[in-house]
This record gives sequence, C-alpha cells and structure tokens, in this order.
Amino acid sequence: MSMTTAPRFPDLLVGERTKFTSLRSTWWCLGVLTVLGVGFNALVPALMSGSWNTMDPATRARFRGDTLGLVLQPGAEWAQIAACVLGALLFASEFSTGMIRSTVLASPRRTPVLAAKAAVFAAVLFALGVLIAVPSLLLGSALVSAHATLALGSPTTLRAVLGFGLYLALTGVLALSLGALVRHTAAAVATVLAIQFVLPAALAFLPGSAGSHIAQALPSAGDVMLGSGHDASSVYSPLQGLLILAAWTAVAYAAAHVSLTKRNV
Amino acid sequence: MDDVSFRVLPGRVTGFLGPNGAGKSTTLRLLLGLERPDRGDALVLGRPYAELDAPARSVGALLEARSFHPGRSARNHLRALARSSALPDHRVDDVLAQVGLTEAADRRAGALSLGMGQRLGIAAALLGDPRVLVLDEPVNGLDPEGILWVRTLAKRLAAEGHAVLISSHLMTEMALTADHLLVIGRGRLLADCSTAEFIERHTEPELYAATPAVARPALLEEAFLRLTTV
Repeated sequence: MSMTTAPRFPDLLVGERTKFTSLRSTWWCLGVLTVLGVGFNALVPALMSGSWNTMDPATRARFRGDTLGLVLQPGAEWAQIAACVLGALLFASEFSTGMIRSTVLASPRRTPVLAAKAAVFAAVLFALGVLIAVPSLLLGSALVSAHATLALGSPTTLRAVLGFGLYLALTGVLALSLGALVRHTAAAVATVLAIQFVLPAALAFLPGSAGSHIAQALPSAGDVMLGSGHDASSVYSPLQGLLILAAWTAVAYAAAHVSLTKRNV
Repeated sequence: MDDVSFRVLPGRVTGFLGPNGAGKSTTLRLLLGLERPDRGDALVLGRPYAELDAPARSVGALLEARSFHPGRSARNHLRALARSSALPDHRVDDVLAQVGLTEAADRRAGALSLGMGQRLGIAAALLGDPRVLVLDEPVNGLDPEGILWVRTLAKRLAAEGHAVLISSHLMTEMALTADHLLVIGRGRLLADCSTAEFIERHTEPELYAATPAVARPALLEEAFLRLTTV
C-alpha cells in the first residue's frame, strides 16, 4: 500500500463521526431532542402567559424575576432525555452488539477512543443546544411580551444560549460515560434516567435548606445556568450549576476511562 | 497458557489447533490486546499490539462473528474503521470487492446472512492490507460454499505473501487449508511443525504406512487426538 501514515487523534474523530452519523437511531434521537427542546420552550411560557390572570403573586414574581429560565429551562429538561438516551446507547451499544471488538482492533489505545467519541457527541449537542436556544428565545420573548421582557442582546442572555449548549453537551457526555461503564444498553439507559429524573424527584422531598442544597447538587439541576440567576428558589448560581454538572460529568468520564482501560472487551 | 511463543511466517497458512477450552481464542485475544495477561507480555511483531504504529496495516483480525452494529450498513461499518485507521476510503471498495460484498454493501449489516456477516468481518480484517491475518474459527456455521471460500481466500492471501493464522477445531478443514500447524493443549505449545510432518509424527506407524499419500490429510484428526488426549 502506498500510504503509510499512522493513525492520529483527528483520524479517530473522523471515524467516530462516521459511526455517529451512520445510524438511523442517531437522527431519530436528535430529531426528538430538537422537537422536545423547542416545543417545551414554547409551550410552558405560552401556558403561563395564558393563565396570568389566575396566577398567584409568588409565581408572577418568579415569572418576572427569571423569565430567561422560564423560556429555556423547560425545553432543556425535556431535550436532555433524548441526549441521555442517545449518549447511553452510543457506548453501551458498542458492547451489546460486539462492535467494540472491531473498534479496539482498529484503535487499540482505548483512552483516545473514549475521548473521540465524547468529543464528537459533545460538539454535536453543543451546536444543537445553541440552535435550539436561539429560536426558543425569539419565540419565548414574543409569548411572554404581555407580562415580562427578555433582554435578547444582553450578556446574560448570551450566557444562557451558550449554557443551553453546554448543558446538553455535559449531560450527554455524562450519559455516554455511564454507557461505557454499564456496557448494557437497557441498563445504561435506565441508570442515566434514574440519575436524571428519579433522584431529583426523590430528593425534592428532603426538608429544609440542606435538602434543597443536596437536591440541587444533582447533575440535572445544572439547568440553573440557563436562567437569569435571580430565581429565589435556586440555591446555586448559574456558574455554580455549571461547575456542579461539569464535576459529575468529569467523575463519570474518569470512571469510564478506568473501566475501559482495565477491563477486557 | 504459560510461556507460549510462536512465529507465523509469511507465505503460508498456519493452523492454530487445540481442544475446546485449551485457550486458542484467549491467546489470540491476548495478542490483540482485547485481554490483558495475568503476568508477562503478549507481543506481536515484537511489541504489544496497542503500541504498533499502524495496527490495521500490521495485523488484521476476525475474532468473532458479528463484531459490528446491526443498524449500520456494511459500507459505513468499514468506512468508520478505515477512517479511524487513517486508511483511504477506496480501501473500503477494494475489500468489499475482495470478499464479494459489493452488492450487499448498503444493506443493514444486521440483515446479512451468517456467511455474509463472516465476509464482512474478513473485509474489516483486510482493510489495512495487513502483513499478518488472524482468523479465529472463520468457518464456524458456514455452508460448504462459505467454507471453500474461506479456504481459497486464506491460501491465496498466503501465496500473495501474507502470514495467515487460522484457528479451528475442525481437523479435516485444517488438514486441507494449513501448511503449518501450531497445536496447544495442557497449557502449553505441543507442536510447531508442518502439517505433513505433524501427521507423520503423531499417527500410528502402521496406519500411516497403510494410508496412501493422497488420503493422509484425513489422518490429522487421529494424530491430533493421540497428541492431545492423554
């Protein structure tokens, strides 16, 4: 053969991108993610604006205090379901189908394989998150205009747009890492959804401020980074929310890395 | 397995034999970095597989049937592997043609028959035009046409200068395909010699003498059982 270049990390990125785009389930999940994201970002502000007259003063104050969160968080909470399912499937399916054998024969160093898979997925989710946030804000500001205003050009809004992308990307890599750890598609999806939905619901019953500190330290509570930072019910700031989610993702990624490099495939 | 070392030379088909559970697949998985040895090193071409500069160009392997995602087309499966290995995309068309999968290349890999799935696995092994080709039980579950195809391909690749290692527990198939044999059992390497020599050495002398030369490959099973069952 004429070409004798050794494979490098960019080659792995291209290979993983090819894997990612060549499965129909990818496009399904990304489509569902977009519909849920834009859909709930429009639905919740529309419903709340519609029920303004019957709304109690506390909810009205929250509506006005964190309009940004009201317009972006509902979509993010639903869109992350699709990001979690797709992320968990991406790695767990390598094991459940036997693809992992072909993967590690082609790329026997496992550290860059995990990095390339995570990088491709994170980049796609970040871009898609920004693409969902922008129309959501335009739509949302029109829907809430009778009762509140959104400063579309403000640094806070820009931060929230990038935050939407980061929230999906970090959540997706968290799910992908758990998929690499659990190695079984159904178990991986169940584990991720338990962490993202069951735990928050269970911990919400913890009493007092200690309870809300714990409940809001879960990865899914990182969506505080999509708000204005002025929601009285949030105990962490948007930046703290980002750091909490990033820490969870880093721990899961590190665990996946250890598992992948130490265990047989 | 303890302290097993062997050479697989270019230009011939080497058969890798041993009773079930003797560690044939484990040996290959150790060599190719899918498992880690308890102690010591598993080296291929003098280095751990993961430290080869271009693994796909050095060693191509088929370890188990169905090492692909059933939802991806055969072509995209090979494309992803080729790109990860820094191989040009035209290698995908080359190997698809080489294994006779060009027509089926855009079907979901999960819809391929067992034999076609095996061809896809061999196509993946051939992507980098590797110096060494390792096929673990490549004819398991194949129909006679598929078995003949694997045998012909292995011999042709060896004749083109590749080193071909085939593991199997099917003695007659090995007698027809392999020029050289490695036999493992009882945790060690029991034999490393040409197929003809192995048969001569391990068959009962009277039986060997009474068998016409053309029929001697059929004695491999007898020789193998005499060596491995004690």
